[in-house]
Amino acid sequence: MDFNGQSAPEPRRSSKQELTDMNPALEYHQLQNRRKFFRGAGLKVGGIALAQLVGQRALAAKPAVTGNIHPALPNLPHFAPKAKNLIYLHMNGAPAQLDLFDYKPGLTKYFDQELPDSIRNGQRITTMTNGQKRLPVAPSKFAFERCGTSGIEMSELVPHMKGIADNITMIRSVFTQAINHDPACTFAMTGSEVPGKPSLGSWLSYGLGSESQNLPAFVVFTPTVKNPSQALFTRMWTSGFLPSKYDGVKLRSAGDPVLYVKNPPGVKPTDRRNMLDALGKLNQKTFERFGDPETQTRIAQYEMAFRMQTSVPELTDLGKETKATLEMYGPNAQKPGTYANSALLARRLIERGVRTVQILHRGWDQHGSLPKQIREQCKDVDQPTAALIKDLKQRGMLDDTLVVFGGEFGRTVYCQGKLTRENYGRDHHPRNFCMWLAGGGIKTGITYGETDDFSYNITRDPVHLNELNATILHCLGIDNHQFTFPFQGLDQRLTGVEEVNPIEAILA
Amino acid sequence: MVLSLSLGASWLFSAAPITFNRDIRPILAKNCFSCHGQDEKKRKAKLRLDLPEGALTPQNGAAAIVPSNLAQSEMWIRIITDDADEQMPPVNSRKSLSAEEKKTLKLWIEQGANYEKHWAFIKPKKQRVPTVAANPIDAFLQQRLAKEGLKPAPVANPETLVRRIHLDLTGLPPSLKEVDEFVRDKSPNAVEKLINQLMKRQTYGEHMARYWLDLARYADTHGLHLDNERSMWPYRDWVIRAFNQNLPFDKFTRWQLAGDLIPNATIDQKIASGFNRCNVSTGEGGSIAAEWIYRNAVDRTSTAVEVWMGLTAGCAVCHDHKFDPLSAREYYSMYSFFHSAADPALDGNKIDTPPVIKVPRPKDEERLAELATKIKKVDQRLVEAVAKIEYTDPAELKNPPKPTTREKVWIEDDFPAKATRQGSKEWKTVSKPEPVLSGSKAFVLEANGLEQLVIGGANPPLVVKKGMKLFAHVYLDILNPPKQIMLQFHSGNWEQRAYWGENKITWGEEGTASRRRIGELPETGKWVRLEVDVAQVGFKPGANINGWAYTHFDGKAYWDKSGAEVTTDPTKDPTLSWKSWKAQKETDRNKDLTDALRKRFKSKDTVKWSETEEEELRQHWLSNTYAGAKEVLRLIKAEKTKLVAEQENIRKNTAVTFIMADLPRPRQSHIMIRGKYNLPGEKVNRNVPAFLPPLPTKPKNRDYNRLDFANWLVDGQHPLTARVAVNRIWQQFFGVGLVKTSADFGTQGELPSHPELLDWLALQFTEDRWDIQQLISRIMTSHAYQQSSTVNRSLLEIDPENRLLARGPRYRLDAEILRDQALYLSRLMVNKVGGRGVMPYQPPNIWEPVGFASSNTRNYKQGKGEDLYRRSIYTFLKRTAPAPFMASFDAPNREQSCSVRGRTNTPMQALQLMNDIQHVEAARNLAQRIIRESGKKENERIKWAWRVVTSRWPAKEEAEILQATLNKYYARFKQDQESAKKLIDFGESKPDPNLRTEELAAWTLMANLLLNLDEVVNKN
Repeated sequence: MDFNGQSAPEPRRSSKQELTDMNPALEYHQLQNRRKFFRGAGLKVGGIALAQLVGQRALAAKPAVTGNIHPALPNLPHFAPKAKNLIYLHMNGAPAQLDLFDYKPGLTKYFDQELPDSIRNGQRITTMTNGQKRLPVAPSKFAFERCGTSGIEMSELVPHMKGIADNITMIRSVFTQAINHDPACTFAMTGSEVPGKPSLGSWLSYGLGSESQNLPAFVVFTPTVKNPSQALFTRMWTSGFLPSKYDGVKLRSAGDPVLYVKNPPGVKPTDRRNMLDALGKLNQKTFERFGDPETQTRIAQYEMAFRMQTSVPELTDLGKETKATLEMYGPNAQKPGTYANSALLARRLIERGVRTVQILHRGWDQHGSLPKQIREQCKDVDQPTAALIKDLKQRGMLDDTLVVFGGEFGRTVYCQGKLTRENYGRDHHPRNFCMWLAGGGIKTGITYGETDDFSYNITRDPVHLNELNATILHCLGIDNHQFTFPFQGLDQRLTGVEEVNPIEAILA
Repeated sequence: MVLSLSLGASWLFSAAPITFNRDIRPILAKNCFSCHGQDEKKRKAKLRLDLPEGALTPQNGAAAIVPSNLAQSEMWIRIITDDADEQMPPVNSRKSLSAEEKKTLKLWIEQGANYEKHWAFIKPKKQRVPTVAANPIDAFLQQRLAKEGLKPAPVANPETLVRRIHLDLTGLPPSLKEVDEFVRDKSPNAVEKLINQLMKRQTYGEHMARYWLDLARYADTHGLHLDNERSMWPYRDWVIRAFNQNLPFDKFTRWQLAGDLIPNATIDQKIASGFNRCNVSTGEGGSIAAEWIYRNAVDRTSTAVEVWMGLTAGCAVCHDHKFDPLSAREYYSMYSFFHSAADPALDGNKIDTPPVIKVPRPKDEERLAELATKIKKVDQRLVEAVAKIEYTDPAELKNPPKPTTREKVWIEDDFPAKATRQGSKEWKTVSKPEPVLSGSKAFVLEANGLEQLVIGGANPPLVVKKGMKLFAHVYLDILNPPKQIMLQFHSGNWEQRAYWGENKITWGEEGTASRRRIGELPETGKWVRLEVDVAQVGFKPGANINGWAYTHFDGKAYWDKSGAEVTTDPTKDPTLSWKSWKAQKETDRNKDLTDALRKRFKSKDTVKWSETEEEELRQHWLSNTYAGAKEVLRLIKAEKTKLVAEQENIRKNTAVTFIMADLPRPRQSHIMIRGKYNLPGEKVNRNVPAFLPPLPTKPKNRDYNRLDFANWLVDGQHPLTARVAVNRIWQQFFGVGLVKTSADFGTQGELPSHPELLDWLALQFTEDRWDIQQLISRIMTSHAYQQSSTVNRSLLEIDPENRLLARGPRYRLDAEILRDQALYLSRLMVNKVGGRGVMPYQPPNIWEPVGFASSNTRNYKQGKGEDLYRRSIYTFLKRTAPAPFMASFDAPNREQSCSVRGRTNTPMQALQLMNDIQHVEAARNLAQRIIRESGKKENERIKWAWRVVTSRWPAKEEAEILQATLNKYYARFKQDQESAKKLIDFGESKPDPNLRTEELAAWTLMANLLLNLDEVVNKN
């Protein structure tokens, strides 16, 4: 980027702009009145669709710079939110709860014994292990500890996370239906196993809009890992049936950090500015010719694009971070494309008003050689994750930022492949797994939910992923029941068609 | 942003009296049906309000509705009650009736509570065309406009119109010549002529196909898990062909839903049936087969129902549809048509998951036929040539020929072909007068301990024959002879060693092929020939020797002429003596036989061969094995080899495409309880929903099949098919359908803005024998389509979404058109039709960060040359990571059927159009055109350039703004040649060297600006 600091242009107004200079609130009222006037009959418009219209008109009404280019729906948030932003740390591939957070000391004596039928209860297992003659119990080889004053249990794999135990709520009883990655990841992120639904971040952008005038509302990282043995899917951050402007925008480590944010070679920001000045004037003529409010929106979006050309490089420039901060995130903090770097940028994005940041960290699918591989995975994420919580806290940002950590399902207590005390593998296990939450709206130092002695069945306080999503929405001031979008003849919700409620017990 | 407003239906009817479908059903559907609709399981108080039988029949002495009697109508009483426990909808349901809605219900009951079947489930009625305009479409629209006190807009100016028509029919803008021609053509049928002309173009099919492929959910990868490539593009090419051939919509339907079941199906009909195979599939390890068989069938059913019937069947997968009269039983009865598909549950991550067919290109078919004829002729010549061979078995001669020995010299003065030195020791040579046996040089090795001369990698290798002897010539130094000498041969490994003298070298195992002692050291001071029988070092005939080593322990020796000798006895050689060939073991004979012969003579003793059989084999032997004929037959055989190779090459490169087929024995279908694959409920049979016309009587000898289902859709009696189809075409030209929810014609969908027009179009479409081009002509020749899109404030307020069509359509171009337009205007576009998806420019790290390590679509391999500039419909479509130029402009990722794209307006789009290499390169190429093709004067260039991109001349002010900007760019690049150079070098195509760098750079940015104009990214 050879940008040299252009100031944003003055808003351009012309006398012929009265059409789009309507006061959005006023227009909303006018529409409401018209709505009444037109009688209810045949009126196929929910509050949201109407609100959306108003949102767009408002958008069209805005001159280039002032005002919110990407406002919330008018009825949102439904109530005072505890958190304004979300950071979702998705551990893709399914981390083994038995080796990280779900401590089962009693298992040692079951080493290499058959999983009791009374525990398995005939439930389906994947075709990767349903051919195995035996389902021998594999106790975790890792040492556990009760951490902080709260006593949340964590293993030696995550020494840094131990330090934030008193800031989080650990849920040990999350469950889902899917037994394979693709449908499970799709469910975790969109509330549906079948592709086509909007991702959580897209829902939030749609409902809550953006605070930032020069960065996207929803930013996604897919840090590089040593062994990308699992796939990600853009559907995990795209907008499904919502308009594509609610797609998550990937912040990339190779090529342009944001797609096409760099001017072509030989083109300087002043050249771009000159072009945009002309473009704005010419498009204004087009507006006068056709009267289409979309033209005004386009003028505004080009200006936003220009601002992003400055704000994105500023965002990724870590020059002003203190040494202490950089050290806290670990040795990879300044290395683009790493999880540590992504975590630090996540904080910087939230600071700049970005609504949702999602980091998708791959490589957690340990069917074999689990102890060795999971150690590497944890080395990658443990320190930066803990640092992120501490960093947010020390800046007073944790109060209005919700952080979520976890995968798409859990792993089995029985071993896949050869079992020794030192080495084992685990298959997919959707019946229970661990996730933790921290920050705005969430209690601290709580362990919620319990599983049986084999971490195989939930024995107390089950939390379906839909309930977890309802909880996330709740923290952000959204009633999941009312948060709908009409599609395919249904008022679609992130949390599905069934009645689903937030988990009261963990709400602060 | 056209995505939201759905006020339409209500106010469009503000003047009419109350009717059930228009006024009442939406209120009931929204507020009542979820508990009092047709879903039996969720029904409360056994009351259903969607049918008059339910609402009007008294239960416990009271009826929900008593026509014309509000006071007796329980429903009304419960609506107006103040008692929170009694109130309907219930307080906790988060539903409530507005005062307006209450008033409407009240009026309806008072007027007699007349029910109607949902409008879309009643066959379209013949409509009387109003007389307010000549064109029927305009007549319907203008009648409505008049009621609102509105008038249609004037016709758009010809420049705007010609661009609109071109973009809508071909997805490309008009050329300047085409603009001029149209503007000049003052004849009344100018538009009609243009339409007819454009519909004949290849680009018409490519453009139309695009919309259909969104519905078909076509893509080039499986979509789930590994997301590997699938070969489906012949289906895409068929869709293009079908539109270009104007295949009537009924056939278009039959072929796609059931082309495989049409008797004597053509290749095209089978390819078309691939529609059913376009669903996403998985090959993920651990998946459960039953689940995926179920899911694939659900996808196919729901897609067919949405695409042809405009119904959202998805709800009925889990339970009776709450709003539409579609029960779960009926859903699974339709599902049963698709449930017996023959494809496997898991796709195997293969490119050709069966069932597939090969799709030879037309050229290929011709060539294959030609080749077959040629091969036949060559075979005939071969037979004739063999017949001419006068063969006598040497073994049967009175005086049999003597054995002959032939030497193959491998190493003489130099290494064999392709062989290189291995090992550390230099191959030193000597010339006479030092000892040299033959040629001009000998190699010499003076060893201290164990040392050797090694070569490897010889190609062609030395092929081992039976009875072959390997030889080398050695001259041991008199004063310093080695203690041991060794020959080593490489064939896969070096474990073949023969030695003379002491046993100092410890490699291999003594007494085996890996260390075989042949004899004493030869005499010193003279050349001696060393010989090793291949059997001694464990070589079998056919082994390839490609490395050789001379090894000593201590001492000095010279090495020369080495290789192999073969002694052949014609009487015992199976390639010379028929008798001896015949006497071989069967396994040895088999090596020379074809599969067919091998099979026929399997375990058959030679004495049992009949005379004709023996003669047949002898002929085969003569033509294929007999060494004496090799030379005679060589040319004919070479000819045949070439032909066969070409044949195989064509076959290998013939595309495959997924097709639909049913299992020989159909699966029994069940209602799947709550949509769970592992909870089969009641059995169901193939059938269609009761609220729609029935299937014809079931044939006696078979069950209903997909073809019956397809026929049923297009038999002209179906109330939905034609309406849904014409509505979608309408949407294509106006941006919004007459029914806005083009994928939902059910009770939850929107009512049509112009129901009479919709019915008229639908009936006309069937009367026109489902002629798509005819339908499009009808639409495009209407005034509504051709009118100006300019809107004023008051009209915008009344009709923001342009549902009344008091103005022409104006909206942003689709993703593909934006890219194609840039390629076309810049003359970069390559007009090649069809074929495997290509990989144009794409920023790094789109595929890689999401792909599986083992996926074959993990790494994006950007194409070269032509591939960069093909039309966007040919871009390889990876579902889990679609191309940014598609995704950021609302193109669906084809994971499921898409009836209408969103149309957003974002900063990401702005960045892409300004900075994407393909748009910048297009700008530079457009700049070259501007400089070369327009005048020399700047103002001429500016006008010309403006007209190329917008089809119209610029206004004075517009030209001035451009001139001012151009001046800035000129000044800038004059001072900074380096930047100018960088800019014009961006992209694979080379800048025109005849143009001045700063001039081209300045115009490149100008073209970039022009291609970003609102007027250029929109259809106006």
